[in-house]
Amino acid sequence: MRLSDRHVGRRSATGSSNALELRGVSKRFGALLALDDVSLTLRPGERRAVLGSNGAGKTTLFNCISGDFPPTAGEIRLYGEDITAFPPQERIRRGLRRTYQISLLFTGLSVLDNVYLACRGVLRRRFSMLRPSRSEPAFLSAVELVELAGLDEVGGVPVSELSYGQQRQLEIAMALAGAPRLLLLDEPAAGLSPTERQALVDILKNLPDHIGFVIIEHDMDVALQVSEFVTMMHNGRVFKEGKPRELESDAEVQALYLGEVDG
Amino acid sequence: MADPAANGNTDSGGSRIGRVPAGYWLAGAFLLVVPSFASNFVMYQIFGWSFILGMISLSLMFLAGYGGMFSLAQMTVAGLAGYVVAICGTSAITDISQNWPWYINIPAALLIAAIFATIVGWLAVRTEGIYTIMITLAVASAFFYFTRQNYVLFNGFSGFNGIFPPQLFGVDWRNPIAFYYLALFWAVFWYLAVLYVSRSPMGLALQGIRDNPRRMAALGFDVTLHRVAAYTFAAFPAAIGGILLTWQSAQISPGTAGIGPVIDILVIAVIGGLRHPIGPFVGAFVYVILKSFSIDILVALGMAGERFQLLIGLGFLAIVFWSPDGLLGLWAKLRDLNRRDPLIGRLVRRL
Amino acid sequence: MVRRFARAHPWWSIWIAVATLVLLYLIFAIWPPWLIALLGKKKLFLNSLFNGITLGSLYFLIASGFTLIFGLMRNVNLAHGSLYMLGGYIGYLVGDLTGYWLLAFPAAFVAVGLFGILLQYFVFRRMEGEDIRQTLVTLGISIVLADIMLWMFGGDFYNISPPSWLSGPMDTFFVTGVKRSSGELIYLKYPLVRIAILIASIVIGVGMWLALNRTRIGMLIRAGVDDRDILSASGIRIQLVFVAVFAFGAGLAGMAGVVGGTFQSIAPGEDIRFLLASLVVVIVGGMGSIPGAALGAVIIGIAEQFGSVYFPTYAVVVTFLIMVLVLAFRPRGLLGRN
Repeated sequence: MRLSDRHVGRRSATGSSNALELRGVSKRFGALLALDDVSLTLRPGERRAVLGSNGAGKTTLFNCISGDFPPTAGEIRLYGEDITAFPPQERIRRGLRRTYQISLLFTGLSVLDNVYLACRGVLRRRFSMLRPSRSEPAFLSAVELVELAGLDEVGGVPVSELSYGQQRQLEIAMALAGAPRLLLLDEPAAGLSPTERQALVDILKNLPDHIGFVIIEHDMDVALQVSEFVTMMHNGRVFKEGKPRELESDAEVQALYLGEVDG
Repeated sequence: MADPAANGNTDSGGSRIGRVPAGYWLAGAFLLVVPSFASNFVMYQIFGWSFILGMISLSLMFLAGYGGMFSLAQMTVAGLAGYVVAICGTSAITDISQNWPWYINIPAALLIAAIFATIVGWLAVRTEGIYTIMITLAVASAFFYFTRQNYVLFNGFSGFNGIFPPQLFGVDWRNPIAFYYLALFWAVFWYLAVLYVSRSPMGLALQGIRDNPRRMAALGFDVTLHRVAAYTFAAFPAAIGGILLTWQSAQISPGTAGIGPVIDILVIAVIGGLRHPIGPFVGAFVYVILKSFSIDILVALGMAGERFQLLIGLGFLAIVFWSPDGLLGLWAKLRDLNRRDPLIGRLVRRL
Repeated sequence: MVRRFARAHPWWSIWIAVATLVLLYLIFAIWPPWLIALLGKKKLFLNSLFNGITLGSLYFLIASGFTLIFGLMRNVNLAHGSLYMLGGYIGYLVGDLTGYWLLAFPAAFVAVGLFGILLQYFVFRRMEGEDIRQTLVTLGISIVLADIMLWMFGGDFYNISPPSWLSGPMDTFFVTGVKRSSGELIYLKYPLVRIAILIASIVIGVGMWLALNRTRIGMLIRAGVDDRDILSASGIRIQLVFVAVFAFGAGLAGMAGVVGGTFQSIAPGEDIRFLLASLVVVIVGGMGSIPGAALGAVIIGIAEQFGSVYFPTYAVVVTFLIMVLVLAFRPRGLLGRN
């Protein structure tokens, strides 16, 4: 199913600027240099996979982009705007979304309520004490996103009672709330069954063209199916970049990646 | 949980009334006809007091159950509202009381209570969850000591007496039957209001903040402001409860919002259950029954009659140990036992 | 460290320096008439100051255990005041039976510490990580303990009397004034037992600081206060550390009960009073910090004493006002981590 225009309504054209541009981004935790001079450029609507072993700095990269931890050096631009020093919610308002590896859902609320909150977050009247009507745009978007994620059967169930795979699907539904332009997907396929993985690939492939994403994924199959371009990271640095095909046949990448997976 | 309206947005609208479980209708009908057979003591001291304590605990339940904020200052908010009514309205302390009409002193009481609660909330939410108990307990005791020491405004140790509800619409609201219906009305009103708000953006956001403040901030919500707003909202049921409490006992003194009553409100909410707005009323009813008949209960158990605190303390501990969701949780567990599938022994859920 | 602080907060340093000088002047100078007109007799001032400091030392004994337990286990021990009172009653009984005041201290420490071990082992260990539930349990325990103690000891005041060699006043070298007739200096007399207790608290405080900063287990506990995952990762048996810290904090509260029973008296309601005092001290000083507890205890002790002398009506309110101000500007307390 396609997303309707209501909640993915295009922002005004952003000219020729890149969707995301990282210049010399570094992140240091004490003595540990988790990110070392990373530069990265994404065109609007581009789908990029970031691969690499554990500790290669992938999740740190996401934390810097989403604003969870600011980088120690470098510059991050979102659609031409310098967002390096912005708090997370300001980045959200500019169309950036992320999912988390560990589940950060509202466990006491229902699936629909989770998505509804995600839809409301970017709108006005967040302090309203009036119950939402069934025709409220945020509510309609929430219903639609829940369907899109294939969760419509469990819409009223508290999140604490969902299966792991369903929670991952919910993460994606929440990330799609409220006109996103760029998604950061942190291992969305981890822990999913083969069927659920295929459903995930379908959801990602069917996203509207103007929504780009960066995906961290251990499952090469998923990562290469949904992405147009691949960045390989190692020890906090960008190690190699290229089309999925090129990297698949690259001996160095194979050695590094397969070595990690086997070990 | 037996919540007629908490099943999610999916089924809002339509025949909301038709889906209220029969138990609620029965309880409502029973409460309406209580005055036809109950004595004045039962109406005034048992039911009236339960409704009032229930309302004040409800304001704590709203903060703690939905927002994860265990504020011990809710009885203080109630006490402050009672004091404002005594100071601005009429009491036996004619030197201080201003004799203003009810349509000034009651709104003034609500307003001042709301402002006070907002300030307390602002102080308390600047730190993380667990500090809330400490800070609000300290604020509550500051209020207690202040009212006890201040004679200019709060008349110190003895406080105010002779505070009566106004004669409105030709009804003497001190009359047990009238007061019963007045307290019942406000209890039901706030019960429904909290239930309603829990499904609004404000209420949902509060529950989201309870579950995961970091994620809520990442979604674009202002976590601190939502928490403070919750304190402001919760001030109103507490303040109404405080005014009714003042009328019910015709007096207010520092002891009304002393450390004991402040802690009792938490005990009531926890015993009843923090998951649903009916919990505080269940807890209040149990508390009032125990308090009114503890002598008989204790003597029947072969103990000295004055050990009420021991009884309530042990009951509280038992609840915290075995049923963190209070009596409501126990009830839900019992009900679930009956719904278990006899073959696989697992819970059969109605989706 | 001083230099670093001075460089980081120049204005604060100046204020602290000025306040220290003024305080030193007020303590050591012979007061000119205008100062006496302004503040009253110097003896009154010195007495309130010293009473404040000694009261602060009592608060420190209670609050340091409270803050340690809170810092390490995130357990707001609302039964801490009850442990204090329990210690007071035990100390009274032991002192009364044996006739040795000094014996009351180890007795209260051991008995209340054991009670703490039982609590940690049978209650809190079962709800590891559930902050709110643990706190509610301590609240329930305090209600139950208060009523049991009321049952056993009744509503009377119990006073633990210090031995004869500690009772009575002691001459100090602080000048309170000049005799008008002879021009002789008058020196302040101060109760010996209060000074003894002040010294004992300082020794305990310094001992705790050394234990926390110089021993392996102490450093582990401090690391655990900062980041609790470190403890479990260090391979040490975390439950043992928890039990030890809880027992030590409870024992300190029990010992403080003996001190409180000597200073003042033990009676129903004192548990809440000292629970509140520890809450305020810890909120002001900084949660989980021992130096913070010391600073907060002295500030609150002095504020209470000066309040009761100079603004008797609002003495209690002054301390809460300090708390509100600290909360408004430094939500984590004066020495708390921000």
